[in-house]
Amino acid sequence: MKGTCSWKWAVLALSIAALMSVGCAKKQTVKSEGAQAPSAAAPVEEAPVKEAPPAATPAAPPAEAPGVAVTEEKLSQFDDVRFDFDKSVVREDGRKTCGVVADYLKKHPQAKMLIEGHCDERGTAEYNMALGERRATAVMTYLVSLGVPKSALSTVSFGKEKPLDPGHNEEAWAKNRRAHFVLK
Amino acid sequence: MKRSIGTAAGAFLIALSLFPSTAFPLLYIDINAPGGKRMPIAVADFVIGRGDPSLSRGIPKMLSDDLVLTDLFDLVPPTAHMETVTGAHFSGKPLSFSGWKMIGAEAVVIGLAEVRGDRLSIEMRLYDATQGTLMVAKRYTGTPAQLRSIVHRFANEIVYTFTGVRGVFGTEIAFTARPENSRGKEIYVVGMDGQDLRKVTANRSFNLFPRWSPDGQWLAYTSFRTGNPVVYLRNVLTGAEKEVIRFGGSKTPGGFSPDGAWLYAGVSQAGNSDIYRVRVVGGTLEKVEDGWGLEVSPSPSPDGRRIAFVSDRSGSPQVYVKTIGTAGETRISNGAGYATSPSWSPAGDRIAYTARSGGRFIVATAAPDGSGHREVASAPDGDCEDPSFAPDGRSLVYTFRKKGYSALKIISTDGRRQRTLVSGLRDAGSPAWSPGR
Repeated sequence: MKGTCSWKWAVLALSIAALMSVGCAKKQTVKSEGAQAPSAAAPVEEAPVKEAPPAATPAAPPAEAPGVAVTEEKLSQFDDVRFDFDKSVVREDGRKTCGVVADYLKKHPQAKMLIEGHCDERGTAEYNMALGERRATAVMTYLVSLGVPKSALSTVSFGKEKPLDPGHNEEAWAKNRRAHFVLK
Repeated sequence: MKRSIGTAAGAFLIALSLFPSTAFPLLYIDINAPGGKRMPIAVADFVIGRGDPSLSRGIPKMLSDDLVLTDLFDLVPPTAHMETVTGAHFSGKPLSFSGWKMIGAEAVVIGLAEVRGDRLSIEMRLYDATQGTLMVAKRYTGTPAQLRSIVHRFANEIVYTFTGVRGVFGTEIAFTARPENSRGKEIYVVGMDGQDLRKVTANRSFNLFPRWSPDGQWLAYTSFRTGNPVVYLRNVLTGAEKEVIRFGGSKTPGGFSPDGAWLYAGVSQAGNSDIYRVRVVGGTLEKVEDGWGLEVSPSPSPDGRRIAFVSDRSGSPQVYVKTIGTAGETRISNGAGYATSPSWSPAGDRIAYTARSGGRFIVATAAPDGSGHREVASAPDGDCEDPSFAPDGRSLVYTFRKKGYSALKIISTDGRRQRTLVSGLRDAGSPAWSPGR
């Protein structure tokens, strides 16, 4: 078989080279380098090879598991809470929205609310990811202060990855800096 | 054809150094002298012992493309070549160096290639035409599919011979972009020459922040495919994956320790992101940097003793450096109201970061003590962000964004030369340059 043949050849060449470099280190001029060629050995994946390990799903993803994070934004009966640039303070208008959400959750004790934190497209993705988390948490903290049990609330940040408005101007950015409510 | 483990294991490249070369490379080209003289070099048509005759021009073209990218060489065009290289030149017949000198070449590369079935063998030699001496000669054996990778290796050899620093051909850049028909983001990998673009993930969720392990075999990244962010390690060769961080809210991998044992990441708990590290083989998270501010983007120094990171403890995001395991840190960004995404240079002497300047984002570098700030990449009509150093430290890859357009660009650290690596993909960003190959 050809593959075996070239493999043997390769081993032979390596061994010879190794012997030589050990045997007459000073004068020997043949040195060898053997390395895996990453491009040739790397599989080009087009389809998912492995999906998430299903055994370890703590926060029970919604039923339509594949692509759950990227479906069109679920319409919410609640307004988004908006934020100033690089800020996570819940403004006066946001407090009003939070009041509506808190009333709803107190009337529906079985309801579970996911608070998504989002940012506008400006700035670094990592920083925005953490900022989105802080925004979502700020809203959660405010809801708890209004008497909503913490157990009814959870947060997730999408950073700047899921803009509501795809525009590239102040109007779009203002809409995208938001906490979005999703009833689970 | 599916590649079995057996053939993958057999697909080793063997390179034999055929002749003595000087123990220390002579520094023909000073890479630290900006705008220095380029080395005029000729790559002669290869002798094809067996196989596709078009390789005679094809291989020299590949090699020349690599050499041009370095900005260290001027290629003498093949139309000017006078001497026809033959098999005899590989068994004792001397080249006509006076002829090569006459057409302006100070260095000449010749090559002999043979394809027998699934085995490719190439011998390449680099001569100093002015002295008439052999500088380096190697014979490579692999499969025909490894041709490009073999050429990259010899290009690295040539760069090393002239500069004393290994070239970066064959290295790759991982990044994120939105595929068509998807609102998610997938991780892609592309060769530093812009070739071999491929998608690494395909789960239609958000896959973000790819970071290479020091051996170049693993990518750490955050995926939302279960609905919540989890950090995974993925083997780029086999596709094998393992979960490394599930704890906490947002998770932003920053980089590996130089020995590959630790992964540093920003992880938020109760809305507050701090810097943690986790043992790659498994283990609990260790907090490295705590603060009331938001801390993200840890970039370990090449000696593994310090990290650069972002904190907004001063009221806006700024870049800090601290020695791991000690209290206190030095702020290195200054002047900018917003400074993020630090990347430590391979030599440890510079840190590149994103700064907000005049309403735009630019890429700048500074020494780890915060001195010597230099602007590297900026655009009057767009944003330059997310720098990541090449393993030779000579250039940086970064994201260019302008309205809806995005591209990855490579720029020399002195800011003088620049090229587009990837364009045409939606929302391309978060580039990370692989270690040397």
